[in-house]
Amino acid sequence: MSTISKEHSDRLFWLGRYAERFFITLRSLDKLYDKMIDDKQGYKEYLSYFGLADKYSDSKDFIHSFLYDESNPNSAAFCLERAYDNGIVLREEISTKTLSFLQMAKDTLTNSQSKANIRLSLLPLKDILYSFWGSVNEHIYDDEIRNIIYIGKTLERLDMYMRMKYPFADVEKEFIRLCKNLHRVPKGTPYRYNTNYLCTVVEVLGTQNDYELYSDKAIKSLEHLFEPMEVSL
Amino acid sequence: MTQQNIEQFTKPVGNANEINELLRRYGVKFGIYKNGVFNEQFFPFDPIPRVISSEDFKSIEKGLVQRVNALNEFLFDIYHDKNIVKDGVIPENFIYISKGYLAQCEGITPKNRIYSHISGIDLVQAKDGEWYILEDNLRIPSGASYPLIARELTRIAAPDAFSENEIVDNRNYAKLLKETMDYANCGGVSAILTPGRYNAAYFEHSYLAEHTGSVLVQNDELFVEDNILYHRTYSGGKTRIGVLYRRIADEYLDPLNFLPESLIGIPNLMEAYRSGNVGIINAPGNGVADDKGIYYFVPKMIKYYLGEEPILKNAPTYLPFYDNDMKYVMDNLGKLVIKDVAEAGGYGVVFGSDLTKEKLEEFRKTIIAEPRRFIAQEVIDFLDLPILNNGETVMRKADLRAFVLSGETTKVWASGLTRFSRNPDSFVVNSSQGGGFKDTWVLKTST
Amino acid sequence: MKTLNFSFSTKLTFDDYVHDHSFALRIIPPDTESQKIISCSLNISPSVITKQTVDAFGNNVTAGYIHSDHRFLDFDIKGTAEVDSSKHNIFLMPCYLYQSEYTNPDDELKEFYSELKDNCTGKPSDRAVYFSDILSDLIEYKKGVTTTSTTAAEAFAMRAGVCQDFSHILISLLRMDGIPARYIAGLAFCDGETHSWVEYWTGDHWEGIDPANNCPVNDDYLVISMGRDFRDCAIDRGVMFGRYTQQLQLVRSVLT
Repeated sequence: MSTISKEHSDRLFWLGRYAERFFITLRSLDKLYDKMIDDKQGYKEYLSYFGLADKYSDSKDFIHSFLYDESNPNSAAFCLERAYDNGIVLREEISTKTLSFLQMAKDTLTNSQSKANIRLSLLPLKDILYSFWGSVNEHIYDDEIRNIIYIGKTLERLDMYMRMKYPFADVEKEFIRLCKNLHRVPKGTPYRYNTNYLCTVVEVLGTQNDYELYSDKAIKSLEHLFEPMEVSL
Repeated sequence: MTQQNIEQFTKPVGNANEINELLRRYGVKFGIYKNGVFNEQFFPFDPIPRVISSEDFKSIEKGLVQRVNALNEFLFDIYHDKNIVKDGVIPENFIYISKGYLAQCEGITPKNRIYSHISGIDLVQAKDGEWYILEDNLRIPSGASYPLIARELTRIAAPDAFSENEIVDNRNYAKLLKETMDYANCGGVSAILTPGRYNAAYFEHSYLAEHTGSVLVQNDELFVEDNILYHRTYSGGKTRIGVLYRRIADEYLDPLNFLPESLIGIPNLMEAYRSGNVGIINAPGNGVADDKGIYYFVPKMIKYYLGEEPILKNAPTYLPFYDNDMKYVMDNLGKLVIKDVAEAGGYGVVFGSDLTKEKLEEFRKTIIAEPRRFIAQEVIDFLDLPILNNGETVMRKADLRAFVLSGETTKVWASGLTRFSRNPDSFVVNSSQGGGFKDTWVLKTST
Repeated sequence: MKTLNFSFSTKLTFDDYVHDHSFALRIIPPDTESQKIISCSLNISPSVITKQTVDAFGNNVTAGYIHSDHRFLDFDIKGTAEVDSSKHNIFLMPCYLYQSEYTNPDDELKEFYSELKDNCTGKPSDRAVYFSDILSDLIEYKKGVTTTSTTAAEAFAMRAGVCQDFSHILISLLRMDGIPARYIAGLAFCDGETHSWVEYWTGDHWEGIDPANNCPVNDDYLVISMGRDFRDCAIDRGVMFGRYTQQLQLVRSVLT
C-alpha cells in the first residue's frame, strides 16, 4: 500500500483502541466472574472505575449488559461492533483474513449467549483476538502505518489501566510501551504527540505517589495527546 | 466433453452449511435497504455448481471477445466520426435519445482506445443448449468477487471435487483485473472509487482493492490539481492516481461536468481525464452502448466493424420503431416480453402472457404512441438448473454473467456469476430479490 | 469585420472562509471561423495555477483548485477580437438536434409548437425569424422572475424571462421543428452583463439570432461559450467546502 488517507489512518487508530478495549473488557469481566463466585456485589467496584451508577438488579444482569448489550457503550459487544465498523473499511490495508477474525469474534460472542457455561464458551475469544493481532502484524507492511494501530492499542490500554487503578508497576510498563510507539511517529504527521500533554503524563507517572494522587490528570492529558501544538512566535 | 457428461454434475459439492459458514466468516455480504434501514445480508451460495463444457466455453469465449471488441469500436465511433450512423446502420435518434449518451464525452479518446475495460455480459442457455445474450453491462458490472471467494472456500470445504474433476482455476480474476487496470494507467497508483460502505457492493469494492493492490478511496480523499488526479494522504502529502476504477455512475462522477448536485463525485475529474492524465474504468459515456434499444443493433455492429458473422445470438428482438417489427409485435403481443428501454434492473419488463385483455389493449396503444421507447423479445425457454432447497434438489431459472476484460487483448474470465431465482415461477435472478449464486465451473479440454 | 475590445470580470465573495475549492471557468472566447482572438489575458485572484482544455463543444475550459482558506475568487479577462459574422462555422454536432435538460418541452410548449407548425414554411432561417418574432410579441423581457436554473417550459409558462430564457424557448421550438440549434453565451453591446443568444443550423452552416432583442447577430457579438443549453455554457462552476452560507457574485462586462 503506497498511500493512505487521513480517514483511513483515523480508522486504524480507532480500530486499535476498540479492539483493545474489547479485549480488556472481556478479561475484566472474566476476573469479575471469578470474584462474584464469592461476592455477589463484586461488580460495584468495576462500575465505580467508570463513574457509572448501579442500575442492575443483580450480578447476572450486570454481566449480561456488559457482555452483550450493544446500547451500553461500556459493553464488550459495543466495543467489538465499533472495532468491526472501523475494520470493514480497512480491508485492503489489513486484509480479508484479519477482518475474518473480527467476524469470528462477533459470532463467538453472540453464540455464547445461549451456552450453558458462558465463561467457558468465551474462552476461544482470547485465541481469536491474539490471531487478529498476529494477522495485523503480518499484513500491514508499512511500519509508519502499522504504528498508528499500535498507538491506538497501547494508548487504550494505558487509559483503561489507569481508570481501573492498576498497580503502578503495570501502568509504568504500559506507558513505556506507548512512548516507544509515539517516538516512531515522524514530526508533522497527524499522530505526532503534543509535547505539553505528554509532559503532563510523564510528570504524573514519575512516582507511585503522584500516580495514585493525580492519575485523573494523566487520563485527561491522554485525550488531548494528538492535538496540534500551538505555535508561538 | 458432451452435454451428456455435463448432466452428471447435479450433486452438491461439499456441505452447503459448511461453505456458507465459511462465506460468513469471510464477510461475503451485500448491503440492502429495506424500509429505509441499511442491512448487510449474506449472499446465499448454492453448492451445486453450474458446469460448462470446454467446447461450450470456447464458443462462448470467442463470441464474447467478438462482441466486446465490436462494442468498443462502436463507442469510439460514436464519440468521434459516427460512421455507423452516417452509413445508415443505426438510426441517429437511437444514439442521441439514449440516456447513456454523454455529449460531454465527444472527442475524448481513452488510452489505447478502450472504453469498456470490464464488461459484464448476461447470457442464458435455452433448453436446446443454445446460448443467448440477454444484456450487455458496460458501465459498472458487479459480481465477480462472489464466485472468486466462493471458489477459494469451496476448495477448502470439498477438495476432492477439484482433484477428481478437470476444472479451470478461476482464481486469476484479480490478476486479470490488475493487468487491465495497469494497461489503462496513465502514470500513478491504481485506485478503486467507492461511494462508501453503505453501497450494496461495498464488499466487492474492498475485496477487489485488496486483491489488486489498489487503494480504496472515496471522493473526499481525492482532488484534481493541474488537471492531475491526486489522493490526499494522511500526513498531508499527495499521491498521483494513474487509473481510477470507479464504482459510481457517470452522472455523479464530476459535479462540474455532470450532475452539479452530486456529493460523491470529484470536481474536474473530466478535465484530468480529457487531458490524458488519468484512466477511468469504465469510460464515461458507455451507457450508449448497453442501452436496451442499442442491444438490437449489436449483431449489426459486429458485421459492420469486424466484417464477421456474430457467433453468439441475441434473444430474438423486435423494434416497434420499424414498421415490419411493429406489425409482428402487434400480432404477437400476448407471447412476447416487452422492455422499456429507459428502465433497468428488472424494472419495466412486462410479459404479454401476464396481462389481461384490457391491459393488453392499453399497452398496445402505449407502444403505438411511443414506439422508440420499447423493445419486444421472444420469451426464451430457459434451461433450468438444479439447486438445493432445504435438502431437496429443485429446478430453478438461472443466468450467467460473464466477465470480459479488455486490456492489451480481450480476455474472458473462465468462470462467471451464475445467479438463480428462489421463486420457482420467477425469471428474476437479482440478488436483491432473494436469489442466490453458484460457482461456475468451466471444464478443461477433455483428453 | 470589426475589431472588438472586450473585458469581463466576476467577483465571488463568501461570508466565511472556504477551502478545497475546485472551479471550472468557461471564459476565454474560442477562436472560430467567425471570430479571431487577437489577444486575451486572464487574471485570477487569489493566485492559483490553472490548466486549459477544450471541451466537447469547443469551449475553452480553465480549471483550478485552491486548497487553502480564502473568502473570495475574482477573475477578469481582457482582450481583443476580430469578429466577422459573414464567415460561418460549419461543424455540426448531431446532438444539437435533440432536446436537452433545459429545453425539453412540456405539454404546453409542445401544444404551442403544434399550433405554429402549419405556418412554418421555407428555409430554416425563415422559420427561425418567424419563431423569434412570435416570441418577442408573446414573452415579456423581465428581470428577477426567472433564475439560471429555469427551464424553457417554466419560462414559457410565465411568458416572461431574460435573454437566457428567450434562448431556451427558441432552441426548444427550433429542435421540435427539426432544426439543430445551440445556446450561445457571450458579450454584446446591448447590456453590461453577459448575454445569451441562439445559433441554428441552416443546412450547411451556423447562423446567429438574438431572440431577446429579436434581431440577427452581427459583428457586435462576441461568443464566449456554446453548448446544448445554459448548463454546458456556465461562465463559472465551482465546488467548495466551508461553513459559508451564501456567495455573492458581481459581474461586469464591457465591449467596445
